[in-house]
Amino acid sequence: MDEAKYILFDKYLNNELTSVELKSFEDQLVSDADFKHEFEIYKALETSLAAKFENEQEEIELRKTLQSIGNQHIKAPKKETKVIPLFNYKNLLVAASIAVLIGLFIFNNGNPVYGDFANHNALEIVVRSENNQAVVAAEEAFNSKKYEEALQQLTILSDEYSEDVEIELYKGICNLELNNYTEANQIFTEISNGKSSFSTTATWYKALMYLKQEKMENCKKVLQTIPESAEEYTQAQKLLKKL
Amino acid sequence: MDIKPHDDHIYIEALLKNDSKVLSTLYAKFSPKIVGYIKNNSGDEDAAQDIIQETLVTIYHQAKEKKFILTCPFDAYFFLLCKRRWLNELKKRGNNRVTIIDDITSISEEQEQQVEETEIFEQQHQLFELKFKELGEKCQELLKATFKIKSMEEVADFLGVTYGYARKKKSQCMGKLTQLVKNSNEFNQLKAY
Repeated sequence: MDEAKYILFDKYLNNELTSVELKSFEDQLVSDADFKHEFEIYKALETSLAAKFENEQEEIELRKTLQSIGNQHIKAPKKETKVIPLFNYKNLLVAASIAVLIGLFIFNNGNPVYGDFANHNALEIVVRSENNQAVVAAEEAFNSKKYEEALQQLTILSDEYSEDVEIELYKGICNLELNNYTEANQIFTEISNGKSSFSTTATWYKALMYLKQEKMENCKKVLQTIPESAEEYTQAQKLLKKL
Repeated sequence: MDIKPHDDHIYIEALLKNDSKVLSTLYAKFSPKIVGYIKNNSGDEDAAQDIIQETLVTIYHQAKEKKFILTCPFDAYFFLLCKRRWLNELKKRGNNRVTIIDDITSISEEQEQQVEETEIFEQQHQLFELKFKELGEKCQELLKATFKIKSMEEVADFLGVTYGYARKKKSQCMGKLTQLVKNSNEFNQLKAY
């Protein structure tokens, strides 16, 4: 590899060439097609990578917005959402949630199913790890529903952060999605019995796990242990009514 | 260059600004047709939601990086992008037996061109990302630090090396990446954009 050439590219892009060097650089761009071709790739890579890493956080934010809007517009029954004036977002939100409720009433007179209740919050790992690559990979995989890959990355991270309950919880969710019920059960039970802020979330997930396995009695029992003060209480009651 | 944006360029702006109000309108207006198309062609709502979201994220990146300006109506442009992405997805799944129910959307040359630009942008983006991952771990780490931190002095500090070494390494790693891209078949098939 011609190292000097790439150092020259880098300097050129940083405006660090002397006027003499600049002149010879620009001459070579004109006379040497291969040189020009490589420079164009180098420059394109520089722009693309810079943008990718600079916009990483913004992309995550945008994905969150799109996910929640998508959930309202695509997952909710279409008929109800269509008649709503489009410019009024607040009404739209209210209407969309009513639509969901109506939808649940109309279509789910039979047994409730796991898919209706399993809305996972996007994974955003708070710990700043040495292993940033695993953090990003885990988030990306989980948020795009690639649970097998997410589980792998989370396992790497949990070796490093054995104390992090959130990572454990998401490992449990991945296992649940992958139908590894034994592993999921173990994780949810442990967190649920613990004192972390995730304990009722884990209880809720344990209920979902039974729901997915269609063990309705177990599901009921677990749901009844979710206290009124918990964030998951409303969902739990909703599900209980259907069981 | 003086390009006049179409009125629908507001949707591109909304992606850049993460404006949930306008994005909500976008979904309300344009998603039903796409969901309908995907459901008619071996997909379901989940698949449709993914396709729509990935397409929008791509447009966001293109707008951010290349200052993409929409010069045609959003409707046909967006629909065609989602449709082609879905067909690709089906191909990837090896779902050859599905019959594609084609719609009869007539589209102008200008729209076709904008769709193509977005697709080429994405292919290039994906290729770069793929090749980036082929680099050694050290190179990946150094380049990531370079683009995130920007000041090479700080990068050198962060990595515990001298400034001169960091600079040299950066060019080396970028050089390696340039070679990887240059020698890939995919790159030669991509039209310049």
